[in-house]
Amino acid sequence: MPANGRTADSAGPVTAQTLMTADQFQDLSERILASVNTVIDGKARAAEIALTVLLARGHLLVEDVPGVGKTLLAKTLARTIDCSVSRIQFTPDLLPSDITGVSIYNQSTQKFEFRAGAVFANIVIGDEINRASAKTQSALLESMEEHRVTTDGTSHRLPEPFMVVATQNPIEMEGTYPLPEAQRDRFMARISMGYPDRASEIDMLSTHQSVSPLEAVRSIATVREVAAMMDTVDAVYVSSAVKEYVVRLGQATRESAQLRLGASPRALLQLLRAAKAHAALRQRNFVLPDDVVTMADVVLAHRLILERRSASTGQTAAGIIAAILDEQPVSPVRSSRSGAQR
Amino acid sequence: MSTDTSQRPSADGARSRTPGRPAGNSRRRLSAAPWAMAGAVFVAVVGTSLGLNGVLRGWSWLILVIITVAVVLLTTATARSLRIPQIGTQLLGLLALVMVLTLLFFNSSAVLGIFPTKATLDALGALLGQASDTIITGTAPVLPESGVVLVICAGIGLAALLIDALAVALAMPAISGLGLLAIVLIPALIKPDSLGIPGFLGGAAGYLLILAFGQWYAPVAGTSQAATRSTGQFRRAAALAAAAVVITALAASLIPGFSTGIFPQGSHLSAFGNVSGLNPMLTLGNDLRQPRGAGKLVYATDAPTGLYLRTTTLEDFSGRSWEPTVRDATRRLDLSAIGEDSSADAGSDHLTTTTVVESSDFSTPWLPVPYAPTSVSGLAGRWSWDPETLAIEGIDATALRQKYTVRSVMPVLTRSVLSQAAQTPPETLDPVFMSLPGDTPDIVRQRTEEATAGAQTQFDKALAIQNYLRSPQFSYSEQTPVANGYDGSGMDVLAKFLQVKSGYCVHFSAAMSVMARVAGIPSRIVVGYAPGQLTGATVFLGGKQLNEYQVDGHSAHSWPELYFTGLGWVPFEPTPGRGQVPVYARLPGAPGAAADSPDDVLNARRNAAATPPASASASPTPAVPNAAGPRAANAAEPLWISAAAAALLLMLATPLLVRSGKRGRRRKTVRSARPGEVPELAAWAELEELAYDYGMPAATGDTPRTFTSRLLRGPLSGWQRSIQQPPDDPGSASGIADGPGTGPGAVRVLLTAYERRVYGPEEAAPTELSNGSSAGAAAGPGGSDGPAKGPDGPGHPLLEALDVVHRTLRASSTAGRRLRAELVPPSALPWNRRSRSASRPPTKPTG
Repeated sequence: MPANGRTADSAGPVTAQTLMTADQFQDLSERILASVNTVIDGKARAAEIALTVLLARGHLLVEDVPGVGKTLLAKTLARTIDCSVSRIQFTPDLLPSDITGVSIYNQSTQKFEFRAGAVFANIVIGDEINRASAKTQSALLESMEEHRVTTDGTSHRLPEPFMVVATQNPIEMEGTYPLPEAQRDRFMARISMGYPDRASEIDMLSTHQSVSPLEAVRSIATVREVAAMMDTVDAVYVSSAVKEYVVRLGQATRESAQLRLGASPRALLQLLRAAKAHAALRQRNFVLPDDVVTMADVVLAHRLILERRSASTGQTAAGIIAAILDEQPVSPVRSSRSGAQR
Repeated sequence: MSTDTSQRPSADGARSRTPGRPAGNSRRRLSAAPWAMAGAVFVAVVGTSLGLNGVLRGWSWLILVIITVAVVLLTTATARSLRIPQIGTQLLGLLALVMVLTLLFFNSSAVLGIFPTKATLDALGALLGQASDTIITGTAPVLPESGVVLVICAGIGLAALLIDALAVALAMPAISGLGLLAIVLIPALIKPDSLGIPGFLGGAAGYLLILAFGQWYAPVAGTSQAATRSTGQFRRAAALAAAAVVITALAASLIPGFSTGIFPQGSHLSAFGNVSGLNPMLTLGNDLRQPRGAGKLVYATDAPTGLYLRTTTLEDFSGRSWEPTVRDATRRLDLSAIGEDSSADAGSDHLTTTTVVESSDFSTPWLPVPYAPTSVSGLAGRWSWDPETLAIEGIDATALRQKYTVRSVMPVLTRSVLSQAAQTPPETLDPVFMSLPGDTPDIVRQRTEEATAGAQTQFDKALAIQNYLRSPQFSYSEQTPVANGYDGSGMDVLAKFLQVKSGYCVHFSAAMSVMARVAGIPSRIVVGYAPGQLTGATVFLGGKQLNEYQVDGHSAHSWPELYFTGLGWVPFEPTPGRGQVPVYARLPGAPGAAADSPDDVLNARRNAAATPPASASASPTPAVPNAAGPRAANAAEPLWISAAAAALLLMLATPLLVRSGKRGRRRKTVRSARPGEVPELAAWAELEELAYDYGMPAATGDTPRTFTSRLLRGPLSGWQRSIQQPPDDPGSASGIADGPGTGPGAVRVLLTAYERRVYGPEEAAPTELSNGSSAGAAAGPGGSDGPAKGPDGPGHPLLEALDVVHRTLRASSTAGRRLRAELVPPSALPWNRRSRSASRPPTKPTG
């Protein structure tokens, strides 16, 4: 934090003094997930990943066609937690200051006052982020990374916990500014909702008829509780065997002939954090390779850039990651073997 | 030997790539390493040198070898433990070798007994000269005289230094076998039974120790990875060695080359090249033992029967080993005048024969000629002859590729002529033919008295001795003397022979010669060749028709010649089943008289094998020793078959042995959990290998959970691994009851223990955040209690779990799969092991 900076405490950083007990953590996480699942039918995995990303202090990119519940997921998660939520509908004419805030001259006090933008909230829902101009996108992404907004030489700290859930429509391309690769790297995970299955869709048609189920969502956890959960996640133990495994996965993406851009160190860091959160959600205080395997796809896929040839032959980043996971031995001994075979 | 067996936690010997090893531990190893390795080298060198017994007589030399090797190795080990640089270590070792040799051999001429002086060098020259004499002229086993022992000690000391340098300084323990090979080579070349069992076992044991310590203690940084081997090193080495021995035994019995091929008797070469050399008694036995007679000689003669061809004689029976007497002073050069004295001796009719000899690849220094030569023509090179024995010796030539014509004269001897011979030897006869050394054993005198009791004339006595030796109580064997350690010549050998009563021509002829002298008859041993076989060809020479005979190494023979005053030297044939008993020496009805059969001339073994009925019918009594050979061979056949079958079984059982050895080791690790060992890893490795044996190998990218969940989905269902839905909860999805006593429960016990050990926090006992009170959490009931605290409890939950898994796998497999997994475990097959090693468990990094 810069020494000359002034900290704006709109919500105040929330830190838990003590870690949660295992039972509290499990109870809370299960209630949150149950609540989200009442609104979004048949998307338990998407809900779990969203919660995982939240607890790992990451940001989530939801990418899918319109109408599958991207925004609903974000809103439900936000409502389940008793915290400040703001929603930004990205449009081409949205300005950076709309997001970050602006300093306005107050006639009465004869001073510039900072009026906080939409980003000053615990959970920020950025709808159709690819519709805004690159400049506006950058303003959001910067604050995502640094958890603070700086205008006129003054830093304004964003509230904690802070999570951006951005949605993106991959189909509609006209008049959009798709996120560049470097920006996508800021999101811990990308998920796509996918269509609900038959039963869930029928269910959805009946329950969503009259009143929005969102109305029924009650807040379940406080900001303080969520912060405590995050601290619990931070305390999850990672053995060096797992660290080595993560590093080997990263190296494999960089060495893969099918990829033009592999996983960055930040990507690996976020993969490990996601794995920790996943482990905690599975009631473990240590990370298993399985946690890494589970999170690898959602954390890594949106950061990788395929070689043109692989892309033209219909390969996907997810497919390549799956192949790497199959090839990479979990133990160090195996890695030396496959290394020799290559 | 104190060995530090605390190893890395890799129960399966998997190398860790993590370099972080506790420094204190490695220091401790380093300090113990030189001593352990020196011990191993010592065992190897001294063990191998055990094989020199037989090259040297007795064991007195061994203590000197032990002292030399011990001093050298102690010096190098001390230098290493003091961290002296390698080159300095070797120099110190060399210095120690010089000093200890000085102390042992030249301490009178050295300063303080260990520092050589000028006088030491002179003494060294003298000893070396003595050694070279012994080496050139001696017959193995030679007496352990100072010269030879000095050379042996120096050589073995240098070999020990070489092995030490290879095994420790250069960190190439496997190559150090070369140094051992240098020691092995001496007995392998010289001794008829090659290295011998003690030498082989001692050397092999030492070599294995070197290999084992080379892996355990690698003081050179470059090999420190190898030092992280598991405790199974010894067992693995033993299993490997057992397999190697089995395969070698099988190969030796299956490949024809080892008994009859290019290198018969396992490439046991004759000491002096192709056929024979300076030591007639030694090479004779070797020639006889060649399965395929080495060398070939063809002669054509007008004599009615085949001829004995003499090369040289032995008459000086003093000394530990008998050798031809050197009479350089009286040797004569003119071969045309040969034998004039002996022909003058003859007091009766003479039979003159002409013989043409073609000696192709026989390379003795003595010329094979029939007795008694009167002229030899057609020889290349310069030759001389000894008037006393009529032995013809090359001055600058050997018998190799010579073609010569020999005229020989032999008195026609009959029993009556011999019986009338004078009873006292002439005074002109060299006393060497009469003298008996003082160490003539009593048994020789006793036996002679027994045999000649009642005999009147000298000829009767001679016959009695011959017939005693040809009696059925004696048997012909080329191997028994070797096996019992009395091969060769000398009074000790003779005494042993008269006790064991089994030997070959060398022993029979020596016995008869010495016994004849005891009985007062001058005698000498003749070395040469038995008549050999008719080739069926005839050669015409000067209008005469000569029958052609062929002689090879198997015809090598020795027989006694006894001197009868007025008649000269008369050959006898005491060896049963070999050669021809001369007409005058045959007794009607007596044993040995039935040698009319020409078959008897032939090689005993070949004869017996080729025409057993003829041999048996023609000469029933002498056939007894003959028949012993083939009968023994027949009896040995089932033995061979059963041995081969046992070897084959052992080879087939090798995977099973390897597998059960591994299993036992892992179970022991789990049970005892010594410091540094990780029971969970061992149990997990065993689980993986069990699954491999039952056809469910862990895939490359498998996490422990994916592996176990696949295991739990059963042997026959699809194994597709889903990334989208990781089997975070193995077993529960399958809906099987999963107490620890069931397969799924047991698998979960193992999985939980392994995961906690490998991935869990190190210090505090890793716990699940929730103890599974709801929602059937990851750890089942078995998972949350037992193994987390380690297998100290009496029940050993991990072992029980392994047993349950094993039972479940067995029960759920087909019979074929079950048999394969239990009897020929795929995980232990060498071609699978390579791929198997891919699925070893990760080691727990300690750094």
